[in-house]
Amino acid sequence: MTIIQIILTIGIVVITIYMYLRLRSSLLDVILVALFFAAGIFFVLFPETTNKLAHWVGVSRGADLLSYSSILFLFFLILKLYARLRRVEQKFTELVRNKSIEEAEEFKQN
Amino acid sequence: MNDNRSIFVIIPCYNEARVVRKTVADVLEKGYSVILVDDCSKDGSKKQLTGLPIYYLRHRVNLGQGAALQTGIDFAKKKGANYIVTFDADGQHDSNDIAGMIKLIEKDKSDIVFGSRFLPGSKTNASGSRTFVLNMARYINYFVSGILLSDAYNGLRLLDRKAADNIRLTENKMAHATQFQVLSAKNRLRYSEYPNNIQYTEYSSGKGLRNWDGIKIFFEILLYKIFS
Repeated sequence: MTIIQIILTIGIVVITIYMYLRLRSSLLDVILVALFFAAGIFFVLFPETTNKLAHWVGVSRGADLLSYSSILFLFFLILKLYARLRRVEQKFTELVRNKSIEEAEEFKQN
Repeated sequence: MNDNRSIFVIIPCYNEARVVRKTVADVLEKGYSVILVDDCSKDGSKKQLTGLPIYYLRHRVNLGQGAALQTGIDFAKKKGANYIVTFDADGQHDSNDIAGMIKLIEKDKSDIVFGSRFLPGSKTNASGSRTFVLNMARYINYFVSGILLSDAYNGLRLLDRKAADNIRLTENKMAHATQFQVLSAKNRLRYSEYPNNIQYTEYSSGKGLRNWDGIKIFFEILLYKIFS
C-alpha cells in the first residue's frame, strides 16, 4: 500500500462515518453511503480498474475520466444549490415583507 | 377625476437621510399618498420623516430595491390603491411628472407607464457614458422581455390595479427593472412611455448606480432568465 492509498482510505472512512452520522435516518441513505464507501475504497486499492473503465468509455486515463465526471457533477451540484438558495431567499423575503406590512406605521402630521 | 389620495407613491429608501425628507414632502404636496419602504437604513432616515403624514414600512433586513418595491405594492393594494407609482428617494425624479403619467394612462387605456428620460419632451442631464450604458441595457431588456423601451432602469413607473395584480417582483436587487418589462410582456399588459425629467445631482450620482454596476446587473438578469 502506498502512502496516497492510506491517506485516501482514511479520508473516505472519515467522510463516510460523518455522512452516516448525519443521514442515518433512512435505510436508503445508509445503503447509498455504504455503496459510495465500497466503490471509493475499491478504486483506491485497485487504481488500474479506473483505467479500464476509462478506456471502455474512450478516455485515455482513469484520472482524466474522474476529473471530467467530477466537473460535470460539481456543476450540477452548484446549479441545484443555487436554485435552492433562490427559493430560500424568496421565503426569507416573504417573511421580512410580511413582518414589515404587519408593523406598518402611519405617521401623523404635526 | 381621481382622488389623489387613492394614488399611492412608493418610495424605497436605503440610507437617504440627507434627501429623503425633501423628496417625500414634495410628493405629499401634490396630495398623493406616500408609502415609504425603509430597506433597513442605518443612517437615521426614519428620524428625517417625523411629522410627514406617510405610511412607513421597515424591512428588518436589507433586501434590495426590488424587494422594497414589492413590499410597497403589496401594502398599497391592501390600502385599496387605484394607481401605484414607483419613485426614487434620492431626488432625481420630478413629482410634477406623476400627474402627466396619470393623464397618459387614462388616455392610452394602458396598464403600466414607464418613465423615459430619452423621449422628446424630457429633460435630463445624463452623461454621455451613462446614456451609452443605458442604451445597451435597453437592448438587453428587449432581448429578455421582447419590449423595447426608449429608456432602461428608469425608476419612475405608474401601475394600474391590473398591472399591480399581475406583476410580482422576485428579483430583490436591481434586475427588478427588467422583471417589470418581462412580466408586462408575459401578462400582455398595455404599456406607454412618458417623458420624465431626471436631474442627476452631485448627491445622486455619487450614491446611485454607477455605470460599472451595469455588469453586475447583467449577471443578475442572466441568472434570473436561467432560474425562473
